[in-house]
Amino acid sequence: MRLSETDSARLAGSPPAPSYLEDGTTLMSWLNTRDHKRVGVMFLVAVIVSFFLGGIFALSLRMKLLQPGPFLMDALGYNRLFTLHGVVMIFLFLIPAIPSAFGNFVLPLMIGARDVAFPRLNLASFYLYLAGAAIAIYGMVHGGADTGWTFYTPYSSTTPTQVLPILLGVFILGFSSIVTGLNFIVTVHTLRAPGLNWMKMPLFVWGIYATSIIQVLATPVLGITVLIVSVERFAGFGMFDPARGGDPVLFQHMFWFYSHPAVYIMVLPAMGVISETVCAFARKNPFGYKAIAMSSIGIAFVGFFTWGHHLFVAGQSTFDAGAFGILSMLVGIFTAIKIFNWVGTMYRGAIAFKTPFAYICGFLYFLVFGGMTGVALATTSLDIHWHDTYFVVAHFHFIMVGASVMAFLAALHYWFPKMFGKTYHEGWGLVAASLIILGFNATFVPQFLLGNYGMPRRYYQYPEHFQALNVASTAGSTLLGFGFVIILIYLAIALRWGQRSEQNPWGSKGFEWMTASPPPTHNFDEIPTITQMPHDYRTHEPPGVIRVT
Amino acid sequence: MAESALPSEKLHPDREEPHAHSAVPYVIVWIVLLFFTALTYVTGTMHLGKWALPIALAIACVKSALVVLIFMHLKESSGTTRLVFVTALIFLGLLMFFTVADVATRFKLATPAGAPFGTERSQPEGLLEHEMPAEPEQ
Amino acid sequence: MSPEAGLPEGILAHHYSSLERQNEAMRLGMWLFLATEILLFAGLFTGYAVYRYQFPLAFAEGSRHLNITAGTLNTIVLITSSFTVALALHFARIDKPRAAAICIVLTLLFALGFLGIKAVEYIEHFQEHALPGKYYAFEEVNIAGAAMFYTMYFLMTGLHGLHVVAGMSVLSWLLWRTLQGRYSSLYSTGLEMGALYWHLVDLVWIFLYPLLYLI
Repeated sequence: MRLSETDSARLAGSPPAPSYLEDGTTLMSWLNTRDHKRVGVMFLVAVIVSFFLGGIFALSLRMKLLQPGPFLMDALGYNRLFTLHGVVMIFLFLIPAIPSAFGNFVLPLMIGARDVAFPRLNLASFYLYLAGAAIAIYGMVHGGADTGWTFYTPYSSTTPTQVLPILLGVFILGFSSIVTGLNFIVTVHTLRAPGLNWMKMPLFVWGIYATSIIQVLATPVLGITVLIVSVERFAGFGMFDPARGGDPVLFQHMFWFYSHPAVYIMVLPAMGVISETVCAFARKNPFGYKAIAMSSIGIAFVGFFTWGHHLFVAGQSTFDAGAFGILSMLVGIFTAIKIFNWVGTMYRGAIAFKTPFAYICGFLYFLVFGGMTGVALATTSLDIHWHDTYFVVAHFHFIMVGASVMAFLAALHYWFPKMFGKTYHEGWGLVAASLIILGFNATFVPQFLLGNYGMPRRYYQYPEHFQALNVASTAGSTLLGFGFVIILIYLAIALRWGQRSEQNPWGSKGFEWMTASPPPTHNFDEIPTITQMPHDYRTHEPPGVIRVT
Repeated sequence: MAESALPSEKLHPDREEPHAHSAVPYVIVWIVLLFFTALTYVTGTMHLGKWALPIALAIACVKSALVVLIFMHLKESSGTTRLVFVTALIFLGLLMFFTVADVATRFKLATPAGAPFGTERSQPEGLLEHEMPAEPEQ
Repeated sequence: MSPEAGLPEGILAHHYSSLERQNEAMRLGMWLFLATEILLFAGLFTGYAVYRYQFPLAFAEGSRHLNITAGTLNTIVLITSSFTVALALHFARIDKPRAAAICIVLTLLFALGFLGIKAVEYIEHFQEHALPGKYYAFEEVNIAGAAMFYTMYFLMTGLHGLHVVAGMSVLSWLLWRTLQGRYSSLYSTGLEMGALYWHLVDLVWIFLYPLLYLI
């Protein structure tokens, strides 16, 4: 029997169970929670703090680069700052951002589960994150490292700066990431609601699932790598030290075996968010559901076969360079499948140009440019020219900031009513989105040009004729910073004074909207039985169809 | 119950404590493992030259297969668990393959005489064969 | 009758529909964890392969100077401990908690034995100065790359040793729980997870033994 109308009325009206936000308001009720939603919110706060911390480092770097000569800070300070910027942005923000914050919050809702498979482990993951962050920040306060976030040996095993605490922090953060990924895989396998088979899973769940596979399989290799570097530092084992017969390129192999797939840890959940939101704002079924779902798994798999393209000029053999060059391009195929499908979804849809949609557009544009320059960089001969220049910097910022952060913002705006039951100011949302997209272009397009002219990355000083483009880039980054501050302000206002939002303000067919917004502690009064396809906009029924037996 | 419609629910109706019956398989596996340990010890001390590594690895693979399938019950586990294990092995192989392939196909650097870490591989092949101890010298 | 009847309190979590499902989740979670362990060691095995390829003579010589008797003995000890922990799970499942506890104690003793033999070996290396990296001063093997063999040897056996210690703490905890009568034919998944971890420790050694001692 379908009780869709009464049911949604019951859910939209005064919910029988208190929302997860009202169920205990003491500090301990948050710190000791087992609720995946609260863990998600705590992660969200933590990653936003990290993002602003990393952003301040980035802006300081850009300020220094206004002048070709020494300015504001000395060379060592500059080296430390870009290392901290990289470490904070990658390990504290990008990797946990979407999976640990939004994945934790919406994934169980989307599959009709009351919680993740291992709630206590989930909370442990958050504390591991905090511990890792604390140790890394301790290292930063006590001098910081100057190795770059890549910790290349033998420099990282010999430099007198504080590499050890940061390595240890990264190791613990890796644990946090593994635990989250493991939890999600098991959740998807064992806690799907009745009727929700694999080919009915929402596309965001597919994205998170693919991400989790990478987290589980790649992160341990990073763990052992930083562990060996730590041992080198305090015990001189010499495994990566050429003076003792070690091979520094071996370090790079092991490091990039994690760190290249890590790019997909950052971008696959982003793609999941876009798949989810593009349907909601085009009000149309996904074009090629299976293709989008399978290409997520495809990227996760192929992403492991490409790490050598970071080693083209490191002394890697021609055989490996050729193999990795070709394999790297395979990622382009799967990404292109997704891009065509998203555009196909928008085509002839009833597009609602809300704030998240603005970020979707930004995402598509940045992903295409970031991806295409990536394919160019995977061509060995071109990479020899561009390697370690600002071209590479601009390329990966297009992917990491352009794609991942745009998707993060899309998710933040799209799920804000779901998480907190409040509405934010739409006008300011669009202003901030335009500012960010504009500022982003102004920051990184000049860097493509600078890189192509040969300006190397991570250099404290540069020739004077590069100054104009550097000033343009710094100006852009200021705009970008303003955009983020505006978002912070209007979201804070919305949290405190915002209007109560409807249960499903977007009219979305995503399964997470099956329950109240904000959801009750145990998510569902009754576990729903899923009868629809996800994102099915052809019907007028509420998402998922809640059926009471 | 509606849950029974789920694929993972009905995976192994026969896995209801199939191991509860007898400890005999464990004893057999233990004895076989000890036998293979003796075998690998004997073949290992024979110094079989280029065959030593493949033989030792083959024996280790057989031993670990026994441990994984019987002691760790992977034989009776769900398909997903098996997939997890096999995937881990595939990615172990992936990391090893491309990294060793790199070292093996690298352009051989000219090492000046007396350099502390002139790799043996960069010397003429004949010398290597000659120096390779084929006989046990204990 | 539902299989949950007669279960001790607090075993079935609220968000699972059945104990069967929860056990399946725990098993899958454990195997995923074991997969991460395999890939943790993968880095070291890769390093071993690379340096063995680069320094075949040094690796052969280094291997010949290890205490092969101790290595073989340790292999036997660890295989037997794997056997006893499998038996422990078996006894717990046929409602013989006392036999299960005895098996766990045996496993712990074997684990201690393993660490003891390993310690004897390590002391020998220290006396011979057969130490990794910059501390290497072993007179008997003096070829390029010999220090690298000992670097790999110490990294691999060291990480494995840490896993033995971790496994022992897990087993001690499980022994406590077994004595409390927590594992029976109704529920034994906790013990099963600990046993799986211990088997993995054995599994890694099965490869370390020939790679380090025999060839």
